[in-house]
Amino acid sequence: MLTDWRFWFSVPAVLALGVVVLFPTGFLFWMSVSHWILTEPGVYFYGFQNFATLLNSSAFHSAAWVTVSYLVLSTTIMLGLGFAFALALSRPGSPGYLRALIVMPLVIPPVVAGFTWRFLLNGEIGFLGAYLLPAIGLETNLLASPVGALFSIVIADVWSRTPFMFLIFLAALQSIPRDYYEAIRLDGAKRFQEFWLVTLPMMKGAVSVAILFRIIDALNTFELIYVMTKGGPGRATQTFSLLGWKIAFQGFDFGGAAALGVVMVFATTIVALIVFRRFMRSA
Amino acid sequence: MGNISKKIVRLTAAVGLLSATALPTFAATEINVIGFGAGFAWSDLFGASGTEKTQKLLDFEAKYDIVINMEFADEEVARQKVLLDLVNGTGNYDLVMLGSDGAVQTFSAAGYLEPLDDYLSSATDVFDASKVYQPFLEANTVNGKLWGLPYYSFGAGVVYRKDIFDKYGITSFPETTEGLEQALQTIKEGLAADGMDDVYPLTMRGAPGEEPSLDLSGFVYAYAGYPAWFEGGPTTPDEIKEKKAQPIFNGDFKPGFETFVRWSRDYGPPGIATHTWVDMMNLYAQGKAVVLMPSAINAFAGIPGSEVPEVKEHSAFAPSPVGPSGKAVQSFWTFSIGVSAFSENKDAAYKALAFLTSEPVLRDFANSFGWPYTTYPEIMNSPTLTERWPAEMLSQIEASFSEADPHYFPYIPELVEFMDQIGTAASSSIAGTTSVDESLDDLQSWASERMTRAGYYK
Repeated sequence: MLTDWRFWFSVPAVLALGVVVLFPTGFLFWMSVSHWILTEPGVYFYGFQNFATLLNSSAFHSAAWVTVSYLVLSTTIMLGLGFAFALALSRPGSPGYLRALIVMPLVIPPVVAGFTWRFLLNGEIGFLGAYLLPAIGLETNLLASPVGALFSIVIADVWSRTPFMFLIFLAALQSIPRDYYEAIRLDGAKRFQEFWLVTLPMMKGAVSVAILFRIIDALNTFELIYVMTKGGPGRATQTFSLLGWKIAFQGFDFGGAAALGVVMVFATTIVALIVFRRFMRSA
Repeated sequence: MGNISKKIVRLTAAVGLLSATALPTFAATEINVIGFGAGFAWSDLFGASGTEKTQKLLDFEAKYDIVINMEFADEEVARQKVLLDLVNGTGNYDLVMLGSDGAVQTFSAAGYLEPLDDYLSSATDVFDASKVYQPFLEANTVNGKLWGLPYYSFGAGVVYRKDIFDKYGITSFPETTEGLEQALQTIKEGLAADGMDDVYPLTMRGAPGEEPSLDLSGFVYAYAGYPAWFEGGPTTPDEIKEKKAQPIFNGDFKPGFETFVRWSRDYGPPGIATHTWVDMMNLYAQGKAVVLMPSAINAFAGIPGSEVPEVKEHSAFAPSPVGPSGKAVQSFWTFSIGVSAFSENKDAAYKALAFLTSEPVLRDFANSFGWPYTTYPEIMNSPTLTERWPAEMLSQIEASFSEADPHYFPYIPELVEFMDQIGTAASSSIAGTTSVDESLDDLQSWASERMTRAGYYK
């Protein structure tokens, strides 16, 4: 292989990949097995103690629950809404301004989106929280109640990230050959059967890509939650990413934060593999 | 040749001219500073945008041959930048923003800060430590060494709406927590009877994270009579290690914690479990809260911009109430600046620090904002503030500095983490996610594990 001159063309790319991807990942793994706490001088090998401490902590258990709830809720709603919007606007002649309107939240930075929703839902001065919701009989202060706060960040996230799903699905829908629909119509299929027998199977690849992106996105969501609730009230909206930030920047425990990062890498990889096997292969 | 000679002469002249103008710039020592909020403390030096340089600053720079490069950031962002800079030992920032609720304790223990004691005598023409309120220096002192100089500090107190107190027949502000709770109940019933359902008797901060801990610890102190975090109330690592003092979060810590949570739930606004100092300030400024405590400064931050005339006309200050132990509810904090241990220009950095925290500079700060808080008695008792505020109020605020116990919580390297855990536990209980007992049991087991892991009980 080394004598094949073509091999050497790949060396710069492999080196770049090593520097950009492998080194930081390796460093993360090294940190996760190191005792590296700012308040306790010295960095040394710590075995799996960081993992043991993390997995035994109540903060980790509550963050796992919150992360899964947030991920499942937001992903389900986003998939449904994104698909519905894409179906509605994929037909030829559908108004372009509607597409632009749906995509608009995507260009708004999560921090700005978070602040906007925080002020809208504020129970004392917010347009929605203080005036509109009470006017229709909903007196609860969403951001201050544990369940309400979780729903609030899901709503804000859905508003912010659904356009991305919409774009993936719209592109996929528009790439389905029209011949398939014509053929099934000749066989006497109804609209629902067109959807069930052509659209859905042809969309499996796009759905799997969307789910993958979404899982990675949801696990990494930080700014929006931090700005809206700071993980509260209490730990009600403290996801893994917020917990990692707290361990590193409040607890000054970089080894512990890295251990959580490693757990997140494994969790994402496992879920990604499941999604890949379930959807991509059959697609 | 003639042409060449002329060119050489011109070139030499140009280089000479360039050197003459450039040399002073090269000689000046650059000091990088990171601080909170453009236009806040040093608007008279860096302008409202934080990117200008006023004549006063330029004069200082010229006199001491120092160039101060100031970087302003949001508080959280600044804290994180400081942490990353110190952890990596870059020395990029010569002067770093500190707070007496964790950063001073943690960074000094980690060896990231330069002790300032030996520098104090080096720039007495700029900064004189003996002229500062001593508790603010004490708050920046860990293990007998001074690590930061204060520029924005406060003690505990209460700001309340006197017109509403009068309306419901409460003629003087209660001096005890028991009396205050009765007053809050009376106000609550009065507001309900008058149909004022968007005005709340009390505003405090209950957001998850470190924010509530500063005030909550003040309640704990007032109820227990000592910093009831560890058995016997030790406040230094050595004392804790010596006595092997275990955490007592489900012991003497409980009465103060429970009161803070109960008051927040019963008399505070519905969103209090997520409220920060900004929320408590806004609520008070909007006339939606009757009492703001114990970090009274947050009310003064909101009153000038209030569009509610009653807030401006009828706000009054009262000393922090005394708890069952006979000690007052505390809330004591200093924003300060320290010299990075990794700075390559520590002497110049200290001079810049001395200037930024000097009496004339902070007088400008007091003048710009007009809040009745400052780190210098000389400013407090000068027309800068006496022309704006009643003398009695200023003397009460001054007393809140001198009577405070800056060590009403332990000064341990793990303080930031403890503050975060305590605040989050309070937020949980205020929101009703967990009961007070559940929160404190969780806190207790976390603290025991954390202190054991940190080697306190070997």
